Amino acid sequence: MSASAVADTSFLIDWARYSRSKLLFKLFDVVFIPESVLAELRSERTLTWVAQGLEEGKLAVLPELPDASREALQLVARSRRLPVRPVDYPEAYCLVVGRELGYAVLTENGGALAVRDYDPNFASVEVLRALDILYRLWKLGHVESFRRELEVYERETKRLYTARDLAKYGDAL
Amino acid sequence: MEAMGELSAKLREWIEYFEEAREVRRRFANWEFIKSQPPKLRVALEYFIEVGDLYNAAKLAGMSVEEFNELRIKAGIPSVG
Repeated sequence: MSASAVADTSFLIDWARYSRSKLLFKLFDVVFIPESVLAELRSERTLTWVAQGLEEGKLAVLPELPDASREALQLVARSRRLPVRPVDYPEAYCLVVGRELGYAVLTENGGALAVRDYDPNFASVEVLRALDILYRLWKLGHVESFRRELEVYERETKRLYTARDLAKYGDAL
Repeated sequence: MEAMGELSAKLREWIEYFEEAREVRRRFANWEFIKSQPPKLRVALEYFIEVGDLYNAAKLAGMSVEEFNELRIKAGIPSVG
C-alpha cells in the first residue's frame, strides 16, 4: 500500500461530497493535490475539505514540476492517437508524478485507467478510484459493508459504476 | 505479434467499456433540462454525455471543473467511466 497519493479533480470533487471522506486518511498518510487541480476547485464544500486536510497535515499542495509537466503534455498527445478516451493534462500530470515518486494516483477518469494498458511507461502506476478505495477500507475493517458503503457513496456523489467496474469485486458485492 | 494482439484486445475492451458508460449517461440524462440551456452549456453537456470528459466539458462551458460538475448533477447525468 502506498503511503502517499496524488489526487486529481475528478476524484476530489466526488470524494469531498462523501459523508465519510476522512476515511481516505486511513489508507494514505498524505494526499498531494497538484496546483492545477487546486485551481479547478470552487465549491465551499470541497475547499473546506481541502483546507481542513491541509490544516491537519493530511493534504499537501504539489507544485508544478517542469519535467513532469513536459512529460504530461507528451502523454496527452500520445493518448489522442488511440481510439480510446484520451487523458487530459491534470490526470496526465498525476500519472507522471505517481510513477516518478511512487504515489498512488486517485482519479475517476477512465482515460487515466486505460493508459496503464496501452503505455508501458505507466503500467506499474497504481491507479485507484473511489470504488477501489472503499473496497480496501472494507478489507481493512474500516467500513462494515462494502456494498452498503458503495451505495452510500453513489447516492451522495451521483457517481455510478458500470457492471464491468463492479465485476472486479463480484464476490464482495 | 502476440504483444500487438494483446494490446488490440485490451483496447477493444476499453472501447466497449466507454461505450457502455456513454449509454448509461444518455439513459439517465434529463434531456428537457439540457435542451433548455443556452448553447454554450447545452453543447458542453452533450459533449460530456458523449465522451464523459469533465475537464474539456468544463472548458467548453467556460466553467471550472467543479462548477460544471454541479451542472451535470442538475442535468441528471451520472458520472460514469
